[in-house]
Amino acid sequence: MTQGDGSCENPDMASRRIFKILSAAVGDGTSARLGQLALPGRKVVETPNFTSAYRPELDLYGARRLQVSPNPRARPSTDTDVVIEKPNSAIYEIEGEGEDSRPLHAFSAFPQEIPIILAARRCPAVTAPSGNTSKLLAIFTSTGFRNISIAEYAEAARKLKADVVVGPADLLHSSQAPAAKKQLRMTERTEDWLDQFLGQLKAGIRTDSNVPESFIFAPLIPVEWKIQWTYLRHLAEEVLDDISGLAVYDASLMPELSAFKFGHLPKLSLDTPQNPQDILRQISLGIDICLVPFVNSVSDAGVALTFGFPAPKAAAGIQPLGTNMWSSEHKTSLAPLVESCTCYACQKHHRAFVNHLLNAKEMLGWTLLQIHNHHVLTEFFKGIRGALAQGPGEFEAMVQEFATVYDSELPAGTGERPRARGYHFKSEHHQDKYNPRTWQDLNNNSNPGTEGTEKPHEVAGPDGQPPA
Amino acid sequence: MQAVKKMASNVYTSPALTFELLARCSTTRARASNLILPHGPVQLPMFMPVATQASLKGLTPEQLEETNCQLCLNNTYHLGLKPGQEVLDTIGGAHKLQGWNRNILTDSGGFQMVSLLKLATITEEGVRFLSPHDGSPMLLTPEHSMSLQNSIGSDIMMQLDDVLVTTSPDHERMRLAMERSVRWLDRCIAAHANPDRQNLFCIIQGGLDLEMRRECCREMVARDTPGIAIGGLSGGEAKEEFCKVVEACTALLPDLRPRYVMGIGFPEDLVVSVALGADMFDCVWPTRTARFGAAITRHGVYNMRNAKYARDFGTIEEGCGCKCCRPKSEGGLGVTRAFIHHNASKETVSAHLLTIHNVWYQLNLMREVRESILADRFPEYIKEFFGNLYADPKDYPSWAVEALQRVNVDLRA
Repeated sequence: MTQGDGSCENPDMASRRIFKILSAAVGDGTSARLGQLALPGRKVVETPNFTSAYRPELDLYGARRLQVSPNPRARPSTDTDVVIEKPNSAIYEIEGEGEDSRPLHAFSAFPQEIPIILAARRCPAVTAPSGNTSKLLAIFTSTGFRNISIAEYAEAARKLKADVVVGPADLLHSSQAPAAKKQLRMTERTEDWLDQFLGQLKAGIRTDSNVPESFIFAPLIPVEWKIQWTYLRHLAEEVLDDISGLAVYDASLMPELSAFKFGHLPKLSLDTPQNPQDILRQISLGIDICLVPFVNSVSDAGVALTFGFPAPKAAAGIQPLGTNMWSSEHKTSLAPLVESCTCYACQKHHRAFVNHLLNAKEMLGWTLLQIHNHHVLTEFFKGIRGALAQGPGEFEAMVQEFATVYDSELPAGTGERPRARGYHFKSEHHQDKYNPRTWQDLNNNSNPGTEGTEKPHEVAGPDGQPPA
Repeated sequence: MQAVKKMASNVYTSPALTFELLARCSTTRARASNLILPHGPVQLPMFMPVATQASLKGLTPEQLEETNCQLCLNNTYHLGLKPGQEVLDTIGGAHKLQGWNRNILTDSGGFQMVSLLKLATITEEGVRFLSPHDGSPMLLTPEHSMSLQNSIGSDIMMQLDDVLVTTSPDHERMRLAMERSVRWLDRCIAAHANPDRQNLFCIIQGGLDLEMRRECCREMVARDTPGIAIGGLSGGEAKEEFCKVVEACTALLPDLRPRYVMGIGFPEDLVVSVALGADMFDCVWPTRTARFGAAITRHGVYNMRNAKYARDFGTIEEGCGCKCCRPKSEGGLGVTRAFIHHNASKETVSAHLLTIHNVWYQLNLMREVRESILADRFPEYIKEFFGNLYADPKDYPSWAVEALQRVNVDLRA
């Protein structure tokens, strides 16, 4: 916010400008609600909505795949970019032009209408060899692990100009259930870091315009609320004017927020759901935007999602959440992945093709599944918003109904995963390959020269574990 | 500039193909023609990208259409293994399998004899393979190859031929292979179930022995297939030898048939082969090299993994009309070299983007060649092309200079 500018609005309007609550009963923000997230220059995001965990490279991938969709709405509404590059990376140097003035969009050739959220941690996280220190955040960049200072993180955020930036948080490293003392330290660090981060940004990011270049979401870390109570109070009383939303790493903390004036803030959940039931639970708790990485992992597993919201009425027995497209029963099926689905994969192709592509290990198989699964999630959230428009009671009833109709576990694909390489995981020493060798040397010598075998000998990058 | 020679009778029609010779270069042997196939017209000369397993690595059929591709290859050998003939029959062919409504050409599985030679035993009956997937024996006969390609439903089918590496020193074996290929063509013609809607092309064999090639040409031409391929090349022979074979064959082939040189893909090879009188080409190189991070441009092949591209915010190739290179204002993606560099060989997106670019480049090269033939300025085009590729005429490859000299183009003049 510019200080001393007479025309400037009240600073705490920053959040209200980007987020509008549509539900009649606003309440304290700890129950399901309808809203709109309007970021400058981007398409309005109707909430509840979802974002998938992309890397910048995959952002584009996602966009490309979805551009072939006959339905332009079948796109993610928001996208989380969870990579900070090293400070001398090219991404900081790109000079965008006109509409492309934001480096992340310009660098990744990302569609202009879709906002990008920036956070410091991949999703699922890659465990760094050492944890954070009091001054340094351990992150995995495109060129390896690095420890960066909060000042460097703020500088990166200032240069990259993502639409939303999640403040730095001292998150769990290896232990999932740290001792109370450790939890307290995480809280204290996060508070210190956020203050430092906001201070750094104020120095640069918000000088020449009423509209900030990035809106800051403060992290809520996965620590017992009693332990981070002072941090929450700090957020509510000291820095509320500087933040535009909350990034919630543990959705079960949501009920405790009713004690604070956070109702007007949009809540982004970075607490990754395991299934659609988890998503519904988070929305019931007041989450506005969910991060849904399982859309990627089910596609990699060769599974086509089949669920919808509200659940179909006439369902007999427990319905599966998806179909394993590896199964040979699809071998000659000309049916779409889901009957009546309007996604590109279902409109233009059929089960037999997807089954063939998976068997032949052609990349297009996983691409088509990703297009479809994204569409299913998009429709699922559309259904959620439709139910909420009818009223909170109706929504809760449909949530109950959904739980009785659908299985609670996503089907596991039976086949191989696509080759894992890239920025989103780190292979470990002597790690086994997760896909077995698919060809054999019939001559017992070391000549692998079969025509169909791709041998990118010049290409670095080991095969490794799939993302969890 | 001389006027384009128009032929009095310039159209050939067979049940599943119409070939119209539009123009001939007045200097070289280059031709421009139209080919109408069961799934639509194609313009020659033409490059055909290879979608080995019914998918051009990573691209959707729509993305392939966006590159203006009218004809792509599928591989009979691979589709025979996966999804298998039974599945193809049930589904109703490869067009339906992959959602591709334009033309498909299938090879016979014969090339796998070169690439999988250690796994194959060739007898008069056919080729006995060991499946590289499970080691189980497979027999590929001319009849079985036809049956598979009939099930695939390709617009152009290739005969099963006996392929030897061209560099094989065994003259007797080469002659046997050539003669056997002729006999196998007869068996293929007899076994072909759908001549009304699928075209069967013969394949000229004979290694690097020009006399044997000529003999093969005469035998094959006598069997009057709707198109003719020159096979067995791109097996490691010297470029000079390659050019001589193409030149020797095209001299004997009828004007009113499409001529397909199999397995050719380097831009210089395409341009020189067109000058020598060939019309159609296929190769996996443009798409394979894309997956290794290489961009084909008129100034040569760029290795996008080179650190010098890390901060290069230009497009892959200035002025290129592909989806990746066109600016956003013209409906393109405006992808930068820096972005390709950033994730080349790390994320599949770079492979996909470079595949789109490289396929576009190859198709556009042939489009430009065609336009220059129609305008009868192909010799000038060849000079521009080599001028763009090499800064110094001294660096022009001597095989290309010599081959072009024989068709009256002096590159260094």
